[in-house]
Amino acid sequence: MSNETQSPHRRWLLLTPALTILTIAAAGPLLIVLVFSFLTPGDYGGVIWKFSADAWFNVFAERDFFDETVSFSDAHLSIFWRSVRLSLLTTIVAFLVGFPTAYFIATRRENRRNMWMLLIMVPFWTNLLIRTFAVMEIIRNEGVLNSVLIGLGLIDEPIQLLFTDFAVTLGMFYVYLPLMVLPIYASMERMDFSLVEAAYDLYASRWRVLRKVILPIVKPGVVAGSILVFIPSLGAYVTPRVLGGGKNLMMGNLIELQFGQGRNWPLGAALSITLLAVVMVALVFYVRSAGSEETPHG
Amino acid sequence: MIEISGLTKTFGSGDSAFTALKDVNVTIAENEFFTLLGPSGCGKTTLLRSIAGFVDPTSGSLTINGDDILSKAPYDRPVNTVFQNYALFPHLTVAENIGFGLEMQDRPKAEVQSVVKEMLELVQMAPMADRMTSQISGGQQQRVALARALAPKPKVLLLDEPLSALDFKLRKEMQIELKRLQHETGITFVFVTHDQEEALTMSDRIAVMNGGRILQIGGPREIYDHPAERFVADFIGDTNFVSADLKSVEGDAAEVHLPSGQAIEARSVAGGPTSGAVTIAVRPEHATLTAPGALLDGTLKNIVYFGTDTHYHIETEARSTFVIRQQNQPDSAEDHKVGEPVGISFNPGVAQVLRD
Repeated sequence: MSNETQSPHRRWLLLTPALTILTIAAAGPLLIVLVFSFLTPGDYGGVIWKFSADAWFNVFAERDFFDETVSFSDAHLSIFWRSVRLSLLTTIVAFLVGFPTAYFIATRRENRRNMWMLLIMVPFWTNLLIRTFAVMEIIRNEGVLNSVLIGLGLIDEPIQLLFTDFAVTLGMFYVYLPLMVLPIYASMERMDFSLVEAAYDLYASRWRVLRKVILPIVKPGVVAGSILVFIPSLGAYVTPRVLGGGKNLMMGNLIELQFGQGRNWPLGAALSITLLAVVMVALVFYVRSAGSEETPHG
Repeated sequence: MIEISGLTKTFGSGDSAFTALKDVNVTIAENEFFTLLGPSGCGKTTLLRSIAGFVDPTSGSLTINGDDILSKAPYDRPVNTVFQNYALFPHLTVAENIGFGLEMQDRPKAEVQSVVKEMLELVQMAPMADRMTSQISGGQQQRVALARALAPKPKVLLLDEPLSALDFKLRKEMQIELKRLQHETGITFVFVTHDQEEALTMSDRIAVMNGGRILQIGGPREIYDHPAERFVADFIGDTNFVSADLKSVEGDAAEVHLPSGQAIEARSVAGGPTSGAVTIAVRPEHATLTAPGALLDGTLKNIVYFGTDTHYHIETEARSTFVIRQQNQPDSAEDHKVGEPVGISFNPGVAQVLRD
């Protein structure tokens, strides 16, 4: 084992660049955010270096303006819940579309697979804003979809699709689909397809081959894909901003609001930390439940 | 009983079309150990996969015990396959792999458990029941693959070169093991191999295939002693080919004139020529080295000592090489020298007239 013969000194040396970048670019800012969440907001943004727990208080509660009574507030939490809900929906739809797509590509001839993967990846390399506006162009009231439906006589008036939860979910699904297809395809391409034949041979119907053989074997890819779609969806900013209009806020927009118009940096910081906590909890929960199925027959 | 008639499979179309099976006709009896033997690309695996249901033949019919199975999906056919790479499910234990087929048939849990236990005993894998398939050796994986395919008690077991990945010693063991399992279970085995020795030692009958056709079907002895075509004679064991003149055929017996002018009795072949120029095949161990003036004469070109036997390479008067293989006796003195004129003789009936 080559890495065991390396001196510990040398190993640390190799790790130094990565550790330096992680410390400066990840741990440092996180620490700043955490500190800011316990400070007092400045009048024109920024913070005043004076301890205050108000931001954390405001995440979950509100003080009545007149009688100063404290009550539980779900204003922020409801946006959190919305974000989780839409992100989950996005992940599920991305899986339902991404899994068959990955299967299709993995079962093509070897020299064709890269071409199909390229087609999946091309949108991913396109600017996010452009892609989001493209979705907007399709689903807005005077857009392609409504025009076609009216032209076909299927509807009389345009359906309001833009600025709805549907629009936000559709946009995020479209933007993050490659992140679902890629890891599932990677594990499916490694899968030995004679296992599928073996299962057919052993009296498994198509549905059971999928459930009992293919899914368990490509599960690492499905887990990775779901995480890769769910987490950026949860913090999505551009897509809900453009497609959700002003009303359909998600966590990313709420946080941005505090640093911008809201001029309440500590609250923005506290919300950011909360988002991070939600992601962590969701991750631990998901990975655990996905891992526990590994021994289905006990 | 498997009845296959007129089975043809063409892959692709137009100029790139490739015919993997050409009008294959064969009947495989109940409880038979039937081997499909041939070089790679001869169509043996395509034929096996047609029976399993992974290849959809272009034309022809295929029945098992009278039931047409070509219209059935692989999971509706009463056959199971032992795959060349075993194709064990990596996410299941040894016992779960063996029970997979039974579970897919929705057999009661108690039955699944008892059959799995029985199968584990049969292939001597009981102590490994709860291991993952990645934690056992190649030979053990082979046994699990066998047990998994046998567990649902199929009417026919298909084996696709199952021993090719094993080392020599293990392969010998598994050959005996496979014969034992076939005997104990009474299931029809259809075995695909390119290894002629494997085919000869294990099979009840062998079908030799080449270019998508079955060239000859027969017992190991018949295939070896009386090959019908040049390809069969060449593919199985070593053979000397001698040009000769066929004079007459009467049933099995043929009168053949050798280049030396001598007449011998050879064995004729069904559907073969009845007169004219033919090729006859003589196995090296069926011929003996004698003094000149025998059936064929020539010059001794080379003597190769192999321990159990000695090979004599003789250049005949027709300028072709004839090999004689003679078993060595203890402490026998070498009484032949390279370069000396020698004769070749063989008994009536050992020479086989070939079809082509």
